[in-house]
Amino acid sequence: MLEKIKNNFNTQTWVLIPIAIAINIAVGQIVLVLKLPVFLDSIGTVMVAVLCGPWAGALTGALSNVIWGIAIDPGALPWWPVAAMIGYMAGRMAQWGFFKSWWKVVVTGFVVALTAAIVSTPIAVYLFGGITASGSSFITAYLLATGQGIWSAVVSTSFLTEPVDKITTAMIAFAIILGLPKRTIGGYPKAQQVETEGQTNNTQMYIAIGVVVLLVLFAAFMLRNILGG
Amino acid sequence: MAFINLQNVTYKYPLTKGPVLQNINLQVREGEFVSVIGPNGAGKSTLCYALAGFVPHFFKGEFSGEIEVDGKQSSKSTLDEWVLNVGLAFQNPFNQISGAKYTVFEELAFGLENIGVPRDEMKVRVEEAMALTGISDLADRSPYSLSGGQQQRVALTSILVMRPRLLVLDEPTSQMDPIGTREVFGVVRRMAEQGMTVVMVEHKMEWIAEFADRVIALKEGQILMEGRPNEVLTSDLLTENGFGVSRYTSTAREAKKRGLWRKDHLPVTLDEAVEGFKK
Amino acid sequence: MHERLSFHIQRDSFLHRLNPLTKLVLTLALILIAFTFPWYWTPHILVLIAIIPLSIVGKVFREFSLTALRLIIPAAGFLFLMQAFFQPIGEDVIFKFYFLDITSESLMFAFRNAMRVFVMVSAFTLFLVTTHPSELMSDLTRRGLPGQFAYVIISTLQILPQMQAKAQTIISAQRSRGLDTESSFFKRAGSLIPLIGPLVFGSLVEVEERAIAIEARGFTSRHVKTSLHEIPDSAFDQFLRWALLALIIVSIGLNLWPS
Repeated sequence: MLEKIKNNFNTQTWVLIPIAIAINIAVGQIVLVLKLPVFLDSIGTVMVAVLCGPWAGALTGALSNVIWGIAIDPGALPWWPVAAMIGYMAGRMAQWGFFKSWWKVVVTGFVVALTAAIVSTPIAVYLFGGITASGSSFITAYLLATGQGIWSAVVSTSFLTEPVDKITTAMIAFAIILGLPKRTIGGYPKAQQVETEGQTNNTQMYIAIGVVVLLVLFAAFMLRNILGG
Repeated sequence: MAFINLQNVTYKYPLTKGPVLQNINLQVREGEFVSVIGPNGAGKSTLCYALAGFVPHFFKGEFSGEIEVDGKQSSKSTLDEWVLNVGLAFQNPFNQISGAKYTVFEELAFGLENIGVPRDEMKVRVEEAMALTGISDLADRSPYSLSGGQQQRVALTSILVMRPRLLVLDEPTSQMDPIGTREVFGVVRRMAEQGMTVVMVEHKMEWIAEFADRVIALKEGQILMEGRPNEVLTSDLLTENGFGVSRYTSTAREAKKRGLWRKDHLPVTLDEAVEGFKK
Repeated sequence: MHERLSFHIQRDSFLHRLNPLTKLVLTLALILIAFTFPWYWTPHILVLIAIIPLSIVGKVFREFSLTALRLIIPAAGFLFLMQAFFQPIGEDVIFKFYFLDITSESLMFAFRNAMRVFVMVSAFTLFLVTTHPSELMSDLTRRGLPGQFAYVIISTLQILPQMQAKAQTIISAQRSRGLDTESSFFKRAGSLIPLIGPLVFGSLVEVEERAIAIEARGFTSRHVKTSLHEIPDSAFDQFLRWALLALIIVSIGLNLWPS
């Protein structure tokens, strides 16, 4: 166990983590400026997870969240286990070979989203009674008002909002890794995990982007249904 | 027995085609100040990484031959042991700031903390090293707030303070003005006189001629020629192979064609040039 | 570019002189008690008897109040409003709007949660304001935290402002080339990549060289590390830590006690 944790961390991992945290936060802020309906605040976490391993990913996520909480939005602090789990799960998926082509990356993003939804639920329920300071709590509140139980209301909200964000995050992380010179990747502990299968072609990428667009439309449709009804 | 001994060193980075170093044989004695010159892609930086243990320990890739420093073989050592004997400073000073420290003083102590030097000794060594390279007045500044030249001095000092037996420098003065460059060469010369062996990649020929004991010209991963600075730096072989030469050398070479330079040897430094033209 | 992310304010006070670990334990104690002690008014009282007095003892009352007004109260206040409106508990409806209603129960619930968050963030703020990051990390490293953690924390604090400044530059550059943050969704989504690309690639390519630079200075050395700074740790510090730990255990114990 300890050996498995340790092999995530070489000097390049330690140098990458602060940069990844800064990427998380800086990109998260750019997204706020662009007013996009996603967070994209774990691109760095996913990169560390796939290049160095799940434990390094978890550490990056947790630290990122704490620093975001201290520096930008104090309300983010209690959510560090979610950020850690995102890193861990992305690392596990990469270990299982799910970071080698566009469609597999979409699957990874989806699994990470489900994990995030599951981990965030108890925090939302126990700490905040289901209603957090996030805008998506509006959906939770509506579901609660329609008589749904608190657990299912919180979980449904996350299932509606998380996949788009996490799949996009995984795809951007993949695009960045593909764009890096091969030589700069070789030194990370799990570099072989991102050795792509054959040629990653653009058709695949467009299909993946299509999936995300469909998800956005689906979420918008659901939202309209909920709020309209 | 030479202090540095390279036997048939050949090396190829992962994911690249040809070898970067080919059959390098090199001996350097203790306390010698050797300068390495060569055009881009000659393998100078790789040679530095090899001496400092990063090739092959850090970069992996295909390595053959043997590197020996102070009787120890690189292949039989680990990187963390190797760096205790061999210090490395390279060109880009910004990337050499650890980032883990807030002041220059702390930054210089970073390496000493890592290798477990006691606190009192640490302070003495940092202060001595700062005095040596003339950065005592920067002690309380943030390393990030310094100019490129100042950062390069800090990078050099952060290695000197660790007191390596072999100092490997890869263009350590690239962002310095002539005065700074001269001072750094002076410091390095002094370290060599105190017994530190120095291998320094540089292209500032005047200073090499004035301070180094020996010059090694590297081309396409092989040693093209080596010898005393004046012989190597004025050799026609260098110009034929696309090496940069000192402006005084090229001026005098031109002058020689027109019969204006009457000495046998071409100059590298300003002083030599002035001397030659006076005759 | 020279600025760094640090909240530390250099003062000479009792709180500044405490050992960093003691302050960390104090912070955690305040947070955990606020969240677990089974009495409704706990977080409110903690603000009055701990947070505010500590800010005065630490000679940072003015700075702390400003941070509280600017950052903490808005965050806690927003949470309060969200919860007061959306929390579907209680019968005693005070105010009704569409499917949302405010009951006296949801008001009380929201008030306590907002105060808990206020205590949490205030305690953290006080800790950060009175503790220099490198002192904290030296002390924790001395106590056995792997040295790499100190490296990660402090370099993050230094890299982040650089990265944010870079992001700001890139955003303004793109704006001058016609980036419009009010344009259509797809246009904004499309402008994401040109914004992120330059931000990340440069710093990722540097990783290798920076790793070499710190390895050349013994980063992976197996020697026991030493520290330039001597961090005082008095008998009083140790006593305080044990006392706080006991309080935490009592509070959590009472919380779990079947009532």
